[in-house]
Amino acid sequence: MAQNLSASHTEEVTSTRKVIMASSVGTLIEWYDFYIFGSLAKIISEQFFPKDNPTAALLATLATFAAGFVVRPFGALFFGRLGDLIGRKYTFLVTLVIMGGSTFVIGLVPGYAQIGFFAPAIVFVLRLLQGLALGGEYGGAATYVAEHSPIHQRGYWTSYIQTTATFGLFVSLGVILIVRQSLGLEAFSAWGWRVPFLLSIFLVAISVFIRMKMSESPMFSKLKKEGKTSTNPLAESFKQKDNLKMVLLALLGATAGQGVVWYTGQFYALSFLQNACNIEFVQSNIIISIALVVGTPFFVVFGALSDKIGRKWIMMLGMLIAFVSYRPIYTVMYNEANLKNKVEIKEKTVIEHKAAVKGTDSLKTTITKKFFEDGTTFKETKKEKFPVDAAVKAAMPKDKLKPEVKKETTLPQNLFVKMIGLVFIQVIFVTMVYGPIAAFLVELFPTRIRYTSMSLPYHIGNGVFGGLVPLISTRLVEATRPAADLPPADPLAGLWYPIIIAAVCFVIGSVYIKNKPAEIDAE
Amino acid sequence: MSAIQKLLGIVWAALGVGIIPLAIKQAMTEIAKKPSEENWIFWSIVLVVLMPIIAFSLISFGVFALKGEYEQLN
Repeated sequence: MAQNLSASHTEEVTSTRKVIMASSVGTLIEWYDFYIFGSLAKIISEQFFPKDNPTAALLATLATFAAGFVVRPFGALFFGRLGDLIGRKYTFLVTLVIMGGSTFVIGLVPGYAQIGFFAPAIVFVLRLLQGLALGGEYGGAATYVAEHSPIHQRGYWTSYIQTTATFGLFVSLGVILIVRQSLGLEAFSAWGWRVPFLLSIFLVAISVFIRMKMSESPMFSKLKKEGKTSTNPLAESFKQKDNLKMVLLALLGATAGQGVVWYTGQFYALSFLQNACNIEFVQSNIIISIALVVGTPFFVVFGALSDKIGRKWIMMLGMLIAFVSYRPIYTVMYNEANLKNKVEIKEKTVIEHKAAVKGTDSLKTTITKKFFEDGTTFKETKKEKFPVDAAVKAAMPKDKLKPEVKKETTLPQNLFVKMIGLVFIQVIFVTMVYGPIAAFLVELFPTRIRYTSMSLPYHIGNGVFGGLVPLISTRLVEATRPAADLPPADPLAGLWYPIIIAAVCFVIGSVYIKNKPAEIDAE
Repeated sequence: MSAIQKLLGIVWAALGVGIIPLAIKQAMTEIAKKPSEENWIFWSIVLVVLMPIIAFSLISFGVFALKGEYEQLN
């Protein structure tokens, strides 16, 4: 008897692992597809969206924003409804194929130089399809895994889905780096950037093959067999008071705060290191990568912990510590990189001048290297481009003659490690709010409309509230700039947006959400 | 807890209502100050995407809270 029980338990665990594997690989690939567009934004912009064409430039802006936060909630509605009508398995197979197909085709589209305006238009449409697919994927994967998981391990098993967004970012950066190193910068810029896009088709094919072999979620199958599936999931989700109030609670009490904490820890931290602290490109990326690698297992730790002590207080504590400590953490980051706080070794300063003539333009480059007592090095590259003809130069508007200045600070070992620690702390906040959230959302809604109901608050919270962190934070910092050529008075002003959203969300979540993990409703 | 939930309901609904004129006024001031394309895109996103979501969800949530709809959860 005991042996039979043990064998049955082993079978159950193996089966759940397969489900996790099939779901996570697909979700990871979707994130990979979504991120490579962002990671290669500069090259894509040069290839498809030339700045001298205003319409193409506008499309570039729209492609960035629309895919991120307008289309994702629509994808959540469209595929969520489909998932509640025909089933989870086939719906998230479709989202995977759409995402992979769009990514692959982006790798094939000829550039603006070859087909003109059609190039940005096609890429824009493909990017929208990517956003739509991403909107449908997460809810499906989380629901599918949760509906397969043992009742008291739902937080643990679904937390693997939560790690895929971070791993997807890694894989995308890794593939890009490998292809770039193998081909060289010139070949990569000319055609090699297409390889990560084309590669997607193989990854998707493998994932589709794995997912095809999986069976439908047992809870959904039962409902379908009994003829109890919803006939209109959208109306049931958002027109019925009892469910709409839970959608609002999920958004305002959890996903909005989780979205801003996630974007601040994973994306704003990198932008702050590069733009406010001027940390050199490779060093800043290594800081973020190490912090993410070390922090990622904590998604699973907090997911599992939520099975024991409840989802609510882990998420709320994550938000609370985040909004209370953001300003102190970023103050330390800013001060540690601030050259005004360091003693310069003036006799070591090196200044190089280079001049060249290219066509009718004269190019002047000045490179200044400074060294500091704590081991910090600073490099400023100033590039001036002006017409050789003095009369033409005199007639040009001043802003066209403005030099291009690039500042790069390289930190010594001890400060480099300290920065990793400071970003790691933020990643821990991310894992606290994000680790248990899939299980939390799944438990809020009944099986018949779960896919639809949980997808919308998730994608509004992450896509809209979280996705707007870079845009709004940059604006808040710019608003403190006394003049265009002066530094901002408060480089930390951008943090007010995530702080306020997380604080409001914390209050709502603490007052209105119950802590006990719910038994998920079989109907 | 029930009284706090209801009382806060008024706060959320008021916040949701208050955010509409505030966002519109701020957008008009900022665009009038600097009518660049960048400014237009930013404020369009705020007014068309972010503000309606915040306003609608806070007002509806506040009304539900005020009616005691979340009491049975605790």
